[in-house]
Amino acid sequence: MQANTPPTERQSERHHAAVWQARLIMLVMINIAQLWILAATVDAALARHYSVLLPLVIASGVCFVITLSIIRWWRPTSRRKTSSGYIRASVKNR
Amino acid sequence: MKNLNETIKRVLSDENDVRAATAPYQAEFPYDRDEEAQVTRREFCNFLGLTSAALFLGAGGFAAKAALEAGNFESFSPAQIAGAEILAPNSALNFNYPTERDSAILIRTADGTYHAYGQKCTHLACPVYYSRDHQRLECPCHEGAFDAATGNVLYGPPPRSLDVIEVEARDGQVWAIGRKTSGGEHAS
Repeated sequence: MQANTPPTERQSERHHAAVWQARLIMLVMINIAQLWILAATVDAALARHYSVLLPLVIASGVCFVITLSIIRWWRPTSRRKTSSGYIRASVKNR
Repeated sequence: MKNLNETIKRVLSDENDVRAATAPYQAEFPYDRDEEAQVTRREFCNFLGLTSAALFLGAGGFAAKAALEAGNFESFSPAQIAGAEILAPNSALNFNYPTERDSAILIRTADGTYHAYGQKCTHLACPVYYSRDHQRLECPCHEGAFDAATGNVLYGPPPRSLDVIEVEARDGQVWAIGRKTSGGEHAS
């Protein structure tokens, strides 16, 4: 019963903020992982362990792609853009 | 009453004047001081994105530089090590070989034989030094140690032995004739 009712403006804002927080937390975690990868790359290069350099760079690249995808496409549903414009959460749930 | 409060507030604190940016010198460089310290979520997201890009480029650049340096085959020409002939037993001498940028260390062990190694520790490239008391090469950064006669790792974090510089006695002089990278891997 409650699930069918459209969320109020305040609920929608709360959901919106939660998604934004999730995005930020994920971005920070990915940045920390990339820092670790950079440290490992420096370590491997100085120790002349060349076989691990490429996997490390690829891992860093994957992290960057994920970061880009989060920034570019991971948006709260209330701001999701479609061919017909932005969808509002309240409209979508009706 | 309200005006009085505002006046008192303004007199007690010059912060309002600063934020108002009414002084002529402030007008020359106008920006919204109230919003100066505020970062929006979008700006923070973009900052994290740029940081991610920078870290990726850093890792890629560092790996590329290391691979490039590994691929360059160096040819070494013999070079005389000045002052090596008067080096006392159980002591060491620093020199550069094969280029001026490559620091190396020559050791004359207690039995009189010469050994030379690249001075960069194989862990994180700190310069190693010869410890007379322990008769071994030690790295001061992370407490690694190498055998003075072979350059092999005795203990600590270094993953491989030191680069060996081949030395030869010619007419009473000591010459460096080659440098061998021990252990590690070569870029394909």
